[in-house]
Amino acid sequence: MAPAPTLPVQPPNGPTLPVAESSVPPQQRSQKQMTKAERRELQERQRAAKADAKANGANGQAKQPPKSVPPPLAATSRKPGRPAEPTPKPPATPGLKGQSHTRGAPSIAETGPPNARGLRIFSHFGLPKPVSVAKGDIHPIILRLALQFSNFKITGANARCIATLTAFKTVIQEYVTPPNNTLSRHLMTHLNPQISHLVAARPMSVTMGNAIRQLKLEISRMDIDLPEQDAKDVLCQKIDNYIRDRIIIADQVIEETAANKIKDGDVILTFARSSVVQKVLLGAMEEGRQFSVVVVDSRPMLEGKRLLSVLASAGIQCTYILLPALGSVISEVSLVLVGAHSIHANGAVYSRAGTALVAMMAKQHSVPVVVCCETYKYSDTVQLDSFTKNELAPATDNFSSFPLGKSRDALLTQNQINLEILNPLYDLTPPSSITAVVTEVGVIPPNSISSIPIALGRLL
Amino acid sequence: MATSESKFDLRSTYRKNLENHEISPPLAAILALSELVVNSGAGTMFELVKELHGGAEVLKKSTTNPISLNAGCELFIAFVTLFPHESDSFAELKSELMKQGQKYAREAISYRDKIAELMLGFIKDDSVILTHSYSRVVMKALLHAHKTKRISVYVTEARPRGLGIKTYESLTAAGIPCTVVLDSAVAYVMDKVDFVLVGSEAVVESGGLINAVGSSQIAIIAKAGNKPFYALAESYKFHRLFPLSQYDLPTHNPSILSFRSPQAPAARSAPSGVSPDNQTPTISISSSVTPTAQSSRTMSADQIACNPDVDYTRPELISLVFSDVGTLTPEAISQYLVAMFAG
Repeated sequence: MAPAPTLPVQPPNGPTLPVAESSVPPQQRSQKQMTKAERRELQERQRAAKADAKANGANGQAKQPPKSVPPPLAATSRKPGRPAEPTPKPPATPGLKGQSHTRGAPSIAETGPPNARGLRIFSHFGLPKPVSVAKGDIHPIILRLALQFSNFKITGANARCIATLTAFKTVIQEYVTPPNNTLSRHLMTHLNPQISHLVAARPMSVTMGNAIRQLKLEISRMDIDLPEQDAKDVLCQKIDNYIRDRIIIADQVIEETAANKIKDGDVILTFARSSVVQKVLLGAMEEGRQFSVVVVDSRPMLEGKRLLSVLASAGIQCTYILLPALGSVISEVSLVLVGAHSIHANGAVYSRAGTALVAMMAKQHSVPVVVCCETYKYSDTVQLDSFTKNELAPATDNFSSFPLGKSRDALLTQNQINLEILNPLYDLTPPSSITAVVTEVGVIPPNSISSIPIALGRLL
Repeated sequence: MATSESKFDLRSTYRKNLENHEISPPLAAILALSELVVNSGAGTMFELVKELHGGAEVLKKSTTNPISLNAGCELFIAFVTLFPHESDSFAELKSELMKQGQKYAREAISYRDKIAELMLGFIKDDSVILTHSYSRVVMKALLHAHKTKRISVYVTEARPRGLGIKTYESLTAAGIPCTVVLDSAVAYVMDKVDFVLVGSEAVVESGGLINAVGSSQIAIIAKAGNKPFYALAESYKFHRLFPLSQYDLPTHNPSILSFRSPQAPAARSAPSGVSPDNQTPTISISSSVTPTAQSSRTMSADQIACNPDVDYTRPELISLVFSDVGTLTPEAISQYLVAMFAG
């Protein structure tokens, strides 16, 4: 019996009749009998067909990943990617891809040979997507925050965490426990869609993750008998305390400790913009130490410019260079101070892309590298490379700062079908390149970072 | 005033404690501070801790190398702060604290024996050991090993203080074959050596070592020659300091390694008997060279003052640290310190 012609569902086992086979070749054979390449081809074709249908369909549905091939093709080595997504990732094989570059635009159907792959090795880097229709009842302040995150108006681990917690305070205050429910149990389910919405706007930072985990712990610990307003006030108080203790005061302690490492006549090098390092340098300046700063910056984010303007207006002597110029300056530097997005149990530091280069170069020239990091950025995981977990920078106009000898159109990549731009936001500095990590519980060598929870267990 | 009297007591008490050969600066400091506790006029814990800090400052100023002393002071102050105040009267508490301080010092003297015992397992029969300068704990370890194994020891001269000679004398008196090597001959001798053993002034948070100048050099050469580098340190020498480099040590001051303006030769205190005219172009070791026409020179006191007393050995160069709390890798030092002091 010939099975249904179009659905690639597993046909009844056993080889099909030769008649059926000849009429509708590979598709009708059992999936198990197809070779890997044939299965892949099949998937490709279906995907292309779906993408076609999509492109002709509603434009706004760009975000929907086509759920192709219902039976999981466990044998394919490729992750179920999303060719419909207009992400600027380089194709692993030079296939023809007519993908649009700007965010939010509908995908253009894949034309050309069916083995157009694309999005292979970097498909797991989530690109910040434009915030789509919010699912569920999302508080307007969360909507606003998500928009700010996805437009990179709020950047930096500390800033994002504080903004998130502050927004949650409002959400909690305006929350009303539905009847027959307790705050400690229901508030969590109320907050979850808000959190998902933020994560959809931009992947969560480790700081946000730790803070939210702590918040959930506090919520679950709430006394059931407490009247609602009291419970909400207690929670807001706890959030305030968390921000105060783990971020603000921690920064003050780090500022004092790290400023002690700055001696008169030092040349301090820093990379991009870390809020903690900024505080350290301004604090040391106020204490009257004489030093100069080299700010190293890198495209496309160019966050160092903000740091430069703050330091220069405080009266600190600054030099500004881009990352490729680092090799020429490093021999003049006495100390490297960098911030971190998160630190891991094996002592690796996850920070803005380029930090690893700065640290490794400094280590080669025997310049001490000091990472300033609060303990709430500690993540129990072990990270070994920059690859398994990362994020891509938004596809901004990369050429706005270029001198325009050529016409703009020639530089933009929409017209370059063989060119994709890859801008990871973070990289991993191995513990061997780091001399010391300054936290609020003390100065710790990188290989002993895993003792932070022990130190914290005493304090908390 | 009572405080100035006790301050006076403090320095002389400290020096008196040091006269006991077995007691090292941190222990002497702990003993002196515990006596300060009893002699102080403080009525509350807060005042007491403040006075202890003041006392520690006084002691630190009295010596040029306060690092190990500091370690002892910090340990005692942390102990006092964390001590449970169960006694009814403050005076009782103070005398209790002093007793504890003295008890600790007594026990601490036995730490060297513990360390010598731990070290014994790592010394094979017929080992050739290189050590640096003079260290009481290393002496104990070597003498202890000598009882059951055959060892021979190279010791560096350790200029400018020349304490290596003291080691040489003690070891030969005990019957251990020993030779003094020049500080500059360490690389020459490294291939003959099985492992390097040094004492310590302090072990710091990074897992690095602060010891007499020359230790860092020996560690680098040992690393290049793939020989183990062992440090012996009692637990009261563990310090929360974190030097980022040699020049980040508290003992470093701008005059060290500074360039002086060239002085007239007459102003330099030249060793007697050397005059440029008598200098022979070749160094002859034969007995025909009279002592007055010696062709070697030594550094003047001024020149020695431009040089450091202690240096910092990076943790990557150290194989193991032997201590009364156990045999630790450099990474474990920080974990121990965090566990001790972060509470």
